[in-house]
Amino acid sequence: MSWEMSLLLRARGLTATRPSDAASAAVFADLDLDVAAGTLTDVSGPSGSGKTTLLLALARLLPDVTGELYLDDVIAAEVDPRMWRSRVAYLPQRALLAPGTVHSNLVQPWTLRIRSGVTPPSEGELRAALDGVGLDGIGLDRAAARLSVGQAARVALLRVVLTAPACVLLDEPDASLDDESAKQVASMTARFVGSGGAVVRVRHARVDANADRRMRLADGRLTEVTGRD
Amino acid sequence: MTEAVGGVVAIGWPQLALASAFIIVTGGITLLLHLGVAKDLAIATLRTYVQLLALGFVLRWVFRSDAPLVVLAILGVMLVAATRIILKRSPDAPPGLFGSTLLSMAIVGITITFAVTGLVVGVDPWWRAQYVIPIGGMVIGNSMSGIALALERVFADLDARSGEILALTALGATPWEAAHPSVRTALRTGLIPGINTLAAVGIVFIPGMMAGQVLAGVDPLVAAPYQIVVMMMVATADVLGSTGAVLLSYRRRFTPDGIFLEKGHRG
Repeated sequence: MSWEMSLLLRARGLTATRPSDAASAAVFADLDLDVAAGTLTDVSGPSGSGKTTLLLALARLLPDVTGELYLDDVIAAEVDPRMWRSRVAYLPQRALLAPGTVHSNLVQPWTLRIRSGVTPPSEGELRAALDGVGLDGIGLDRAAARLSVGQAARVALLRVVLTAPACVLLDEPDASLDDESAKQVASMTARFVGSGGAVVRVRHARVDANADRRMRLADGRLTEVTGRD
Repeated sequence: MTEAVGGVVAIGWPQLALASAFIIVTGGITLLLHLGVAKDLAIATLRTYVQLLALGFVLRWVFRSDAPLVVLAILGVMLVAATRIILKRSPDAPPGLFGSTLLSMAIVGITITFAVTGLVVGVDPWWRAQYVIPIGGMVIGNSMSGIALALERVFADLDARSGEILALTALGATPWEAAHPSVRTALRTGLIPGINTLAAVGIVFIPGMMAGQVLAGVDPLVAAPYQIVVMMMVATADVLGSTGAVLLSYRRRFTPDGIFLEKGHRG
């Protein structure tokens, strides 16, 4: 029992159906997943195998999902969905920043009621955080719309990490990024894991050697990948 | 048959026939030009005759009966008809909006109508059909346009922002926190025509009610304050009605858990 206590996020019998053909087709059925704190789990699989659906289900962002989810051994039904999402943070594949500046986007999580009473990071802290991910040339007052795809991806990941969630769910974080941005995203991810956070990362491309666990989602089943593929 | 009735030059059948001759000439022109609208024009003309004459008979009966229940029933029919038109004009809106739309129309429409007739015009008794029905019709008709525009807009904008809404919800946002930029956009869009009307009235066009009163022989300086009251009330009905309808309905795009329903997930 003691090893189970260290598990941050657990899914048991998770089943999601494709919305358009509700009658039969399950994207995946009866899926189990354990995520421990301070680990990086990579999930790969063919296009359309349901990798994004899995992340959305884990973040409780998908309707009509059945099965059980636990966070720190507390069942999902007993956790307010907004509190859950603030601790199990999903980052969409396409970094969608709101209209406004880099600064307004970075502090946006603290404008939400779920974080009322929590002090947002200061401008100095935000500046240091941007410098730390290779965005030292980007002013806090830069319009978010004027960032490149790679810069926006880093700002969006930074925004999530700064809220200090327990687990981050990354949806193809380096798809369509330039090499420099992909490298920065990978090291941001590694630093978050190093500080005790858990990451579940979906990748269409080949799984990465840095991952602690490698899983494959195909034909509705999630299996551990052993060795190199 | 032309005679003056209370300062109004009444129009008889010969005058109606003369006016219809203009429409027949118009129809002839469309036939010559092969515009393909002659049949529609004929049907629409016939409808104008039937509907307005029927309205005349109904209103005459209502004015004579002068019973409060009849007046209220007519306002009710107007509200239901307006709600149905609104929902038909908002194909993207989620199902089940009839109740909330009717409710916001009814609260705003009835309150404002009786505020005008009772407090401003000082009608006695308060349900006097001659005042309540035309003013109620103007209030309900105008808030109908505003509500239809705002409802259509809010659901279109939510769909356009679905990616941003997902990102916000993932950060722990409530449906209101995720949706309120769309609500603001929709209400602004719904209100602009009303504001434009307030600004243009009297310069660009003479509003229908004032035109009618002036034609009926009323002193323009008596008609103008009437029109001002009506414009203010119509604008208020527009703002309050669309605000109420949008606030009561945007939440239907989200599940009880606060998940925004993308197109594929709408049952």
